[in-house]
Amino acid sequence: MSRLVVKKIEDKEIVWFKNSNLYLVLEQITADILLKIDKKNSLEEIETWAFKKIAAPKNILHKFIEDVFLLYTTNNTLKRDVQNNSEAYKVPTKHYSVKYYSIHNCVFKIQFETEFHLLKIHPTFAHLEIKKTPNYNFKYTVFNNKNSIVFFKDDIFIGKWNKNEAHVFEGKLSMQILIDIYKKPETNWMGVFHASAISNGKESMLFLGDSGNGKSTSLALLNANGFDCIADDFVPIDNNQNIYTYPAAISIKKKSVRTLLPFYPELENSAEYHFKKLNKTVRYLPLKNINYDVKLKCKALIFIKYNPKIELEINSISKIEAFQQLIPDSWISPLEKNVTIFLKWFLDLPCYQLTYSNNTKMIATVSKIFNDEL
Amino acid sequence: MKKQTKNTEENITRKEAIKKIGSYGKYAALTAIGTYILLNPKTAQARSPATPGGGF
Repeated sequence: MSRLVVKKIEDKEIVWFKNSNLYLVLEQITADILLKIDKKNSLEEIETWAFKKIAAPKNILHKFIEDVFLLYTTNNTLKRDVQNNSEAYKVPTKHYSVKYYSIHNCVFKIQFETEFHLLKIHPTFAHLEIKKTPNYNFKYTVFNNKNSIVFFKDDIFIGKWNKNEAHVFEGKLSMQILIDIYKKPETNWMGVFHASAISNGKESMLFLGDSGNGKSTSLALLNANGFDCIADDFVPIDNNQNIYTYPAAISIKKKSVRTLLPFYPELENSAEYHFKKLNKTVRYLPLKNINYDVKLKCKALIFIKYNPKIELEINSISKIEAFQQLIPDSWISPLEKNVTIFLKWFLDLPCYQLTYSNNTKMIATVSKIFNDEL
Repeated sequence: MKKQTKNTEENITRKEAIKKIGSYGKYAALTAIGTYILLNPKTAQARSPATPGGGF
């Protein structure tokens, strides 16, 4: 059985290693050698084949192919991280706070053992909070155990994370909400992208880029200019390549509040949260007119970059460059079936780099991309 | 073969992602064929490390 998925990208090949969930972008001939190794060809057979293709002395070529064998073995023996579920946990009966949320016709009861846990989750879902009710569909419990955060759904252990991985815990809880509201198991999701998703009602576009480049601010501005918000920071796509709405609030940094106030006066009085470690302050802006029934195809990937010296520049970028930016920032389902779907999805999508400082021009450019006028 | 550094989700840069299978002296073409990009997707569906809370 093959342990690789191989797909052409421009003049190179993407090779995905099933056992380690790593993606390599290689020269075609090296990928061919990896495939031959995977098909159990012997070193001698591969050498004979490669000697006709590569102009190098036999002893040097021998060393090269040995090195590719080593690459194959190394990447196939790396183990994926597996959550340890061997401990017995005592789920607390006392909680700092118990909140109820109504999300897409489901009621969630979430029990937080400490204020820290509450502050990790509640601000992005506060707009969905409802009054206490005995009729809930799902009960989540979050508590400390030996300096780790532990998360249970009903009486089932979901995971535990140390304090440096609190954002992974938040991601996992967000994923569990996604699974529960759409009744789709994790295996049916192609990926979750660290992006903002907007829509013109027919199609969607993903804005990607490092923190501080205006993904969330652009999303809020586009929303104020007639586009729909689909998701911020956590963009789920299922294995039919549909983008789904995710209702977490948009986090707005202090420096963006002034830009957005004319459109969102409610930001003036909304609660402000300060992160000491990250030295930043944010407010949360709920998505408006959440529509859980829209399932949209992706029109393009836009890698955005804020640059005060440039009004607006938009360029197509190479697939390889886009792939390098996309993969380290994304959760891609590690199932072979989903990896194949993901690679096909990505390779068919146009990718752009948008550098801007002029918001009006940015909004006009996004309209043009949606209307095929670029 | 160079030891591979596992990229973590926080600190990947494209420079770190470029690896070489080996070095083959004057056969630079072979060294070029053996140059590749290693990319490590996130192992879980993390959110931005940016929500409030000052510690345990």
